[in-house]
Amino acid sequence: MNLTYNAQERAFRDDVRGFIATHLPVDIRAKVQAGAALQRDDYARWHRILYERGWAAPNWPAEYGGTGWDAIQRYIFSEEIAYGWAPRMLPFGLSMVAPVIIRFGNDAQRARFLPPILSGEEFWCQGYSEPGAGSDLASLATKAEKASDDTYLINGTKTWITAAQWADWIFVLARTDPAAKKQEGISFMLVDLHSPGVTVRPITTIDGGKEINEVHFDNVAVPVANRVGNEGEGWTYAKFLLEHERTGTAAIAVCRQFLVQLNELRDREGIDDRRIEERIAEVDIELTALAFTELRVLAAEATGGRPGPESSILKLKGTEIQQALTELALDAGGPYADVALAGHYYNLRKASIYAGSNEIQKNIIAKRILRL
Amino acid sequence: MDFALAPEQLLLRDSVARFAAEAARGDANGNAWKTFAELGWLAIGAPDDAGGFGGPVEVLLLMEQFGRGLVRSAYVSQAVLAGTILRAARSALLSDAIDGRRRFAVAYEEPHARYDPSQLQTWVNRDGDGWLLYGSKVRVLDPSTADAILVSARTERGIGLFVVPVTAPNVTRNAFPAEDRADVADVTFGGTRIERDALLADETEGFAILERGIDHATAALCAEALGLCEVMLETTVEYTKTRQQFGVALSSFQALQHRMAEMYIELELMRSMAYFAAGALDDPDPGARKRAISAAKAQVAKSGRFIGQQTIQLHGAIGMSEEYKIGHYFKRMTLVERLFGDRDYHLRRYVALTDTSARAEVGAVAW
Repeated sequence: MNLTYNAQERAFRDDVRGFIATHLPVDIRAKVQAGAALQRDDYARWHRILYERGWAAPNWPAEYGGTGWDAIQRYIFSEEIAYGWAPRMLPFGLSMVAPVIIRFGNDAQRARFLPPILSGEEFWCQGYSEPGAGSDLASLATKAEKASDDTYLINGTKTWITAAQWADWIFVLARTDPAAKKQEGISFMLVDLHSPGVTVRPITTIDGGKEINEVHFDNVAVPVANRVGNEGEGWTYAKFLLEHERTGTAAIAVCRQFLVQLNELRDREGIDDRRIEERIAEVDIELTALAFTELRVLAAEATGGRPGPESSILKLKGTEIQQALTELALDAGGPYADVALAGHYYNLRKASIYAGSNEIQKNIIAKRILRL
Repeated sequence: MDFALAPEQLLLRDSVARFAAEAARGDANGNAWKTFAELGWLAIGAPDDAGGFGGPVEVLLLMEQFGRGLVRSAYVSQAVLAGTILRAARSALLSDAIDGRRRFAVAYEEPHARYDPSQLQTWVNRDGDGWLLYGSKVRVLDPSTADAILVSARTERGIGLFVVPVTAPNVTRNAFPAEDRADVADVTFGGTRIERDALLADETEGFAILERGIDHATAALCAEALGLCEVMLETTVEYTKTRQQFGVALSSFQALQHRMAEMYIELELMRSMAYFAAGALDDPDPGARKRAISAAKAQVAKSGRFIGQQTIQLHGAIGMSEEYKIGHYFKRMTLVERLFGDRDYHLRRYVALTDTSARAEVGAVAW
């Protein structure tokens, strides 16, 4: 056991830090630092820069254009992204659908879909939740029916879809066998959002944001070639993806940025309040504990092959800490404060709901780790 | 960075685990100092040329198992706290300590100091080529089995560390009934004559060495807490699976499942911080080391209190019974929370050590 970074890891960190400092466009950096909303073009420009450096896909195997980094390097990279005020890449293509295509897709799908995800030319979004299927995701009703040997017709509504307004593609869980048991009749489809019959409608959130959407499918034709893996086995792939999603959502990096912003706020406003000071310290310490936990989970994943149920801790605690930080910003700023961070308070109430609500995470820990 | 244990670390962990299990069954004396010396456990962290091996990770592995077995020993006070101080002071007494020939307690905390080792009034006056020592120390751990006490005291120029034999004149030991029947005493020095060679560390480094020792002991306690809490959670899970009420196992109720999930999360955060503390002990920057140790102890105290309280709650009335083991784990955890500084003390120390430069890499795990 070696509990500190070794010389190579420190050299790697310096390399990443130097690259971000010299290559991140100043206007994007300023937006991230100010907590302003990023646009598709901001993400695309930064993605392109990382792509040209060969760093767009830290979690992919090298043979598909990934970095081939180990768990610790990936961790260091995400930490440096935060310190350097760089945007975090949208996860839907790079971190969600791509690992599923790599693991369960066929060669044709890998050749068609992976390169534009890697280069950032095509944006993705996630079609999981439905108006009637939230925590009970497997009760989803969106249907994919065979219209011919090589075409499905998809009908239904997916909702709470982040970034659908920018996306070119959506991965959809759809029911292909209505007679099968709940989890067994589901398939995993890759759907072109520009297809006829697709309607994207924005949903304004309580913070005024327009980043989430409802997507309606009305007889949308999807080639059978766009089904990943076997028909009826989509649930297995969906669970695989969710575990990846939970590792990605610990959002240590985002919390680090919040914490720095919070400390700046305190200094700027001259807040000299021991209670606030100690509350910040408490969250800071818990964040350190979570960061070290993420390192342990990543290291275990490197040995065990995939994230285990421990990733539920990261999701649950990571979102709680994000919320605690925005709550602190709210309290530190007072009413009507012009504090970007406090605005996130409303937005981030979503964090304990998405990617399997935190109550669902406790169910997972109880069942799969404690065997209750 | 690498979390896998080396083969010799696995061997150490397993041999400590066997010992702890025997001690838990009453088949071994948890404070068998001679055994500790023979097994090399008193040499952990000492320099190679003194016959030492390993370091903070080995202490962590040992103390986690001691926690699991609820081993009552003087290991933290005499081997870790005193051992670290003797090592840092490059003292010739270290080889006696490693061999187990002589045992050392440490007296640093004073009345009203609220855990802060810099708050001290104990002083020495020159007396020929030696000194006279005056003052009162509280909560000295394991003095009864010690041959000498390492004492922090003010000189004209600062804080020094002195070795005081327990048989020296005018040393009053006032043992009191500790809540866990541990060996603890308040110690008063009423003009205790000590010789010239009693100076262990002078004013240039005495206080820094004491702080280093306390940080090592605190990290060791974090590892003990981890072992205690592992057993509390495991026992609670097993108990709720067995205990039937309303015709079903308690573990089938979601309210209790979620509580145990929360205990598990706290346990894993605690584990991370016990590791984090061990990794920080060798940081060349004492400020960074102290900050990391305070972070770890604050988290361990919080998580440990939650796990302990919920263990009793989920066991129900049986958890209140003196005969049942779980209450003893709870009580030890409750002591560990406060030994070498409670959560409030360490939060304040953490805040005091968090300056602008630390904020820039806030929570960083990189040293």
